Amino acid sequence: MGNKTVGSAFSIKVTDFRGKEIGLEKPASRIICLIESGLSGLYMLNAENQVIGVSSAIYNESVAEQYATLDERIKYKKLPAPGNWDFISIENIVALEPDLVIIWASQTEAIQAIEEHGIPVYAVFLKSFDDVYKEIKDFGILTGKNQRADSLINYTKAEIATFSELSKNTSPKSVYFMWSQGLLETAGTTSTVNELIELAGAKNCCTIDQEHVVINKENLIDWNPDLIVMWHNANIDPGDILSLSEIKHINAIKNKQVFEFPSVFLCDLWTLKFPFAVKMLAKWCYPSKFETINLDDEKNKMFIELYGKRGNNLIK
Amino acid sequence: MNKRILKILIFALPLPVILASMFIGPSQTASPKALYNFIFSNSLSPELLQSVLFGVRLPRILLTFITGGTLAVSGCSIQAIFRNPLTDPYILGLSAGAAFGAALALAFFFIPVQLSAFLFGLLAVGSSYFMARKNKNVSIISLILSGIVVSGIFTALLTIVQYYTDPFKLQSIVHWTMGNLHNANWSKLQSSIVPVTIGITVLFFYRWRLNVLALGDDEARTAGINPDKDKLIILVAATLASSSVVAVAGVIGLYGLIVPHMVRMMFGPDNAQSIPLNFFFGGMFLLIIDNFSRTISGFELPIGAFTMLLGAPFFIFLLKKTNIGWDK
Repeated sequence: MGNKTVGSAFSIKVTDFRGKEIGLEKPASRIICLIESGLSGLYMLNAENQVIGVSSAIYNESVAEQYATLDERIKYKKLPAPGNWDFISIENIVALEPDLVIIWASQTEAIQAIEEHGIPVYAVFLKSFDDVYKEIKDFGILTGKNQRADSLINYTKAEIATFSELSKNTSPKSVYFMWSQGLLETAGTTSTVNELIELAGAKNCCTIDQEHVVINKENLIDWNPDLIVMWHNANIDPGDILSLSEIKHINAIKNKQVFEFPSVFLCDLWTLKFPFAVKMLAKWCYPSKFETINLDDEKNKMFIELYGKRGNNLIK
Repeated sequence: MNKRILKILIFALPLPVILASMFIGPSQTASPKALYNFIFSNSLSPELLQSVLFGVRLPRILLTFITGGTLAVSGCSIQAIFRNPLTDPYILGLSAGAAFGAALALAFFFIPVQLSAFLFGLLAVGSSYFMARKNKNVSIISLILSGIVVSGIFTALLTIVQYYTDPFKLQSIVHWTMGNLHNANWSKLQSSIVPVTIGITVLFFYRWRLNVLALGDDEARTAGINPDKDKLIILVAATLASSSVVAVAGVIGLYGLIVPHMVRMMFGPDNAQSIPLNFFFGGMFLLIIDNFSRTISGFELPIGAFTMLLGAPFFIFLLKKTNIGWDK
């Protein structure tokens, strides 16, 4: 991933997460976005009419309903899905004649294949909330929606600044985060989850310097977290975790402090919706301190701010 | 080393290794120092200590031992009846079928992962057997070929499931196929113990016949043995036992192939001796490997990688030191 620059002929230039400069002569009007969270960003920017292709993940059960609310083309499955986070169809992508493809930076072979057809590719790799801000800023430049991008970023930063003052804590509770793959799959210190926990005024009990890590049950018992927080899980719920006999002596189980984020779309940590997850976690950690925060009101306000009028449909 | 002493060691060492493994693990709550403090100053929460030792470590240790022993015994039996040193319990599609079953359950949650892996593992082996059966006879070559085809079909189906699943579920599937011992618990051990006991007991009682079957069908008939019937019984027993452990421990690649060779290199080709030796050596060796995999770093490394990284050098060492005549 070296730095590469484009010529001065392009009026629009951004540097993607590979360090590669992307140049466009005019704002992209035919975008294929193969990243679900990235698509959410494009809808926030009001750039939905510039989207001509999406990831097949959009049509999955966990988020399809919300995206169908945002876009009738998705509701009636009319928006082509030429790939996803793993596999892509070069033929379908080329046939759609996009002027920009947004894709995960880890899909290196797919990126190479697309670029060989002369199609500009913006590659994304998110490790922090600052990366989320950069992504939306770059999307704003690439779609000609700079002002909207700045407005969204300012709103989110203000939300976080206000809240982080409130959540500052001298004796933070320890949180064990559980990804949906299973009890032993967690997030280390170099992850958006770690930032989420710290912004909520708590501390991540997993101090391993990795983004995603599989631990041993013994680690979990040693860490003895105050809370176990589950990412949205279609298969198991907090009751299942509370019934695990081998971890019954840790504080989170003894005190019945196991919680689950209710929806992938609502709490997506790779979008500007992450402050809602921060507030939800803070309320779980310190219920009396944040008892005045009404999560339903917060959710409704966020949807309107981020998605404009269409946010009303999401609220319904 | 004298073979007799080595044999005594293989039968005697598992218990000390199991006991020593109880004191090996990433937890500081149950480290040797913490245990010393607990015994002499009672400065530790007995509840947490009990959770680590008996809720987490012991079921994993026992499941690992049983998994290693079962794969080794099944591999030894299958190599004998197939008269082929390159076969293992997975040759008839067991691992591919089980992996597909687990992936299907992980992706769509229709039945428990363990049950799905077990059923699809059996289905794959059963399919291989019936595909190879012709005029009430099953030739070894047909069986191996149908096993390869069935493995290919289930691998293709696994790819399709992976294609349609999301990144979270895909990661679970990949972790499962790399060995899944970190999720060991008492209920997994309980669910596998009955089929494993049945399978291993049958193989233990048939261990003498394996020597005759390994000579060929005509020789077996001369000795008064019905080779087709005996092979089927051994195949069913080996499949039942190994599919039960694969269902709970995931796919531990090549273990059922290399351990029988290690035992053969140490003690010779007598299957009557090899069956119990394979169980104890296979169980103990996998336990030692798992002790590395759960302590070498702060997080879990897949045991499937360690079996080859640690097993292969030992295998090559034995290959160089012994002359079993495979190159002739």
